[in-house]
Amino acid sequence: MKKFRMITFTSFNAFTNMALDEAIMEFVRKGISQPTIRFYGWDPSAVSIGIFQGVRNEVNLDATKAAGVDVVRRLTGGGAVYHDRLGEVTYSLIAPLDMFPTNIIESYRVICDDIIFALKELGIDAVFSPINDIIVNEQKISGNAQTRRNGILLQHGTILYSVDVETMFSLLNVSNQKISDKLIKSVQKRVTSVVDQTGASMEDLQKALVMGFKRNREIEFGDYTDQEKSRAQELVKEHFKNDIWTYRL
Amino acid sequence: MKTNSITRKFEKMLRLDVTYTDHIENLKITGDFFLDPEETLDQIVTELTGITIPIQKDLLIRKTRYILDNNEAELIGITVEDIINTLEEVTQ
Repeated sequence: MKKFRMITFTSFNAFTNMALDEAIMEFVRKGISQPTIRFYGWDPSAVSIGIFQGVRNEVNLDATKAAGVDVVRRLTGGGAVYHDRLGEVTYSLIAPLDMFPTNIIESYRVICDDIIFALKELGIDAVFSPINDIIVNEQKISGNAQTRRNGILLQHGTILYSVDVETMFSLLNVSNQKISDKLIKSVQKRVTSVVDQTGASMEDLQKALVMGFKRNREIEFGDYTDQEKSRAQELVKEHFKNDIWTYRL
Repeated sequence: MKTNSITRKFEKMLRLDVTYTDHIENLKITGDFFLDPEETLDQIVTELTGITIPIQKDLLIRKTRYILDNNEAELIGITVEDIINTLEEVTQ
């Protein structure tokens, strides 16, 4: 079994976070970096949108600008996400595709099981909700997204620690259809968080996630390499902080 | 020339923005669906741009499926039929 490098929680800005994922994918593909699990936060707070989303459709750009919230387009599909600086833990898992089920939904399930295990450690009874969510009593506590490129799988996702619903929905243009389809009257009732469910601290959540992702893998703790950090800064300029990428749809 | 947009909720969201006369001049397909490999979407948009209206649904479903098969692509959260049916709706 290939050993994973695990990088503990560190916060970066949105562009660096997404660029680090792509840089690590490149180096894992070249066999230079180990398969990697990284935990991180977003500083400043940010909105990320899916690769196929229209930024103007999904994001209230006047509101994000006024609030100093960055907007970044991800490499992965899925929906728009508000990443609160203090309100969540995000993870990325980057590994050769052959370490995971070929079936995309099954591979989501395998990785999401580690998060469900972590939440259970905190006393939260969560379940996988295909395609890509983890829910507690029909409320979303974790969203996940995946891409597969050149034989490498990247799955990243958020685990909500505390949720500022008012800010979230002031920054996102949430479709009325999306809400009504889920038969939930109140927008606020669509999401929940670790704080809503239990008295666990942010550190408790981070420790539980480390346990969850470690339980079925050989892990060694590590850090970003200088090569990865340098490549990430190139990708920030070329790609993630570039309006051609962000506003392409 | 007409411009029209439509958003439909399937398993995931799909939005089409279309500019058309007697054929499609410009098409944008957006949403929170998944498509692996992602680049396949550009080929689908290219295939559907320029088609005459009213659209030939069965033909377009076959052509779009061919693009997916040819790229060994997997579309998750929406289907080819969802795209083509929504395209018909937005151009009516």
